[in-house]
Amino acid sequence: MNAGLTRQALRRHPWSFLGPMSTQALAAAIIAGALGTLASIDRAPLSAAARQVLVETDVPDMAFIFVMISIYLSIFIVAVTMGATIGRQARDIALVRAIGATPGRVRRAVAMQAALVAIPAALVGVPLGTWGGRAWLDGLIAHGVVPGEVAFHASPVALPVALAVTVGTSLVGALIAAIRPSRVRPAVALTETGAPKRRTGVLRTALGLVLVVGGVGLSVFIAHGALDQAEELSFFTLLALCVGTGLLAPTLLRAVAPLARLLGPTGTLAADNIAARAKAFSGALVPLILAAGFAIIKVVMHTTAAHVSGVAEPPADLWTEYSGTAVYTAFAAVAALNTFATVILARRRDLAVGRLAGATHGRMLAVLICEAVIVIGAGLTTAVGVAAATMLPMVHAAFGTWMPWLPPSYAAAGVLGVIVMVLAGTVIPGALAMRGPAIQTVEVDA
Amino acid sequence: MDQVLDLAGVTRRYGPRHSGVVALDGVSLGVHAGSFVAVMGATGSGKSTLLHCAAGLDRPTAGRVRLAGRDITRMREAKLTRWRRDRVGFVFQSYNLLSELTVRQNVLLPSRLGGPHPHDLDGVLASVGLGELGGRPVRELSGGQRQRVAIARALVTQPVVIFADEPTGALDPTTGGRILQLLRRAVDRDGVTVVMVTHDPVSAAWSDRLLLLRDGRIVADQPTPDAAAIADRLRAVTAGETVVAA
Repeated sequence: MNAGLTRQALRRHPWSFLGPMSTQALAAAIIAGALGTLASIDRAPLSAAARQVLVETDVPDMAFIFVMISIYLSIFIVAVTMGATIGRQARDIALVRAIGATPGRVRRAVAMQAALVAIPAALVGVPLGTWGGRAWLDGLIAHGVVPGEVAFHASPVALPVALAVTVGTSLVGALIAAIRPSRVRPAVALTETGAPKRRTGVLRTALGLVLVVGGVGLSVFIAHGALDQAEELSFFTLLALCVGTGLLAPTLLRAVAPLARLLGPTGTLAADNIAARAKAFSGALVPLILAAGFAIIKVVMHTTAAHVSGVAEPPADLWTEYSGTAVYTAFAAVAALNTFATVILARRRDLAVGRLAGATHGRMLAVLICEAVIVIGAGLTTAVGVAAATMLPMVHAAFGTWMPWLPPSYAAAGVLGVIVMVLAGTVIPGALAMRGPAIQTVEVDA
Repeated sequence: MDQVLDLAGVTRRYGPRHSGVVALDGVSLGVHAGSFVAVMGATGSGKSTLLHCAAGLDRPTAGRVRLAGRDITRMREAKLTRWRRDRVGFVFQSYNLLSELTVRQNVLLPSRLGGPHPHDLDGVLASVGLGELGGRPVRELSGGQRQRVAIARALVTQPVVIFADEPTGALDPTTGGRILQLLRRAVDRDGVTVVMVTHDPVSAAWSDRLLLLRDGRIVADQPTPDAAAIADRLRAVTAGETVVAA
């Protein structure tokens, strides 16, 4: 029976499951939307010729690709977010390991937790996805990609498929996340207190530097080299820069943290926190760089094309292109937001100690927001750099200019989205973490 | 008599090979079945590390550990876990229990994890004074009650040896005395071996044999004297004098 550890975790740290659950809900939503679109096309009263035209558009393929993306991204992001969930249970895991739970049993208990929360997540995600799928199809119809005869029908298999996929990917993701914690010697976790003190490895920093320098070098090489391969080669620039900045993320955060000191005492507190928890915060930085970098490249390539040629691209093409980008970005945003929420909720005790030491609710929230601004600012700046290095040679090869173009309204929308993210990722979990009297939190979590 | 526990030249080093901290420095120790051993020493003397290595919760850097007749030094993790589960009970200072489960669920945890079937669960609960509280969630209990749950959990599998790390550290003297009484009774009545780490001379006075540690070495090993004498010897050892057995 693994029920003991599972029940303990679900009751004791319910908020720590926010990350895996929102990932699962998003995956379930995308699956429901995509399956709904496919079912709607299938059922539409179309002539054979019209159906042939519709099948030859990218729409059915895209729906299928969305399902595949959801499967692999949800394994990956459930694994990342479950890592934090498991971290909250370190003491309980050490206890059950001491009194007789084998590492395999701990892994199975953790997988069970992830699978259990996948069920309500899928139940929430499927209706949301059905609604989203309808909106997507309406968009496709409005842009003339899909004929107006196609009416949205929710897929009858959406719920069972979404359940199967979310439970399955959660089991795999959680098992991966549990490998290391399940093997920790019980004595280590029983004696360890407070934040884990792990130093960033020299190897990690060195490898990160090599990849970043290599990526930039490749970008310069492509810019001066054969034009016809620019796009293919640029993929490797993107890969090297993303992995490289990911490896450098803790170092980068420690380097930019002192900037927060410019904001006075609140900023100083935030700077110290970021430096102390650089590794945890880098969990937010990596998906942020990936999502923002990828989105910037996709959007700017199109807007620059329109700007240089003076001809607007067919909205139908844009609509399909951007909806694909949106799916990736949504997953990455969920991962980044969850990292923030988890880092904050794991600090309940620190926040309570801060309040006992004389800080008000508002001051502690200000510290949290300040941290988020620094981390997200660093992430976006890096993302712009990564995108520029990847994109400039492509822009030059395709349009003969070094000046990419982004309409100001797009940039404003992007910044607004980021502000919403900062607030959602810090204020809500911050307020949750500071519920109740501080002294009680200190005693309960002691 | 049978040796329940046998440590030979056990060293535990933390951190890098040469510059790291030596928590245990070549400790050798044999413990007979049915004895009650108290381990004392200043903070950082290696008491808890000794307990963790002896109980198979941690692995020594050098030396070997025999627990209940088997060399556990290089036993595979899953096998070691089962070995521990079926023969060893634990009582820690805190983090003893899963707070959201009931008393009964906590006591049954080792057997639900695949350990031996519980022996007379109701009898054990009654013997530690928890007969009425079986269905209560542990988070609603007082510190003393929680520690009694931990002892019930350790006893219910009929272990060969119970390891206790500061079992009374968070309790007042009266409540702590009741916990020690339960451990003493397990030794006298059931023939269980108890190895207990403690800071408190009054707690240590319940034992048969007293070990004093300094800088990862055993500096005294003698029959347990009374609490006042223990306090004197502890002070002497902490100050760096060599203690001669009385």
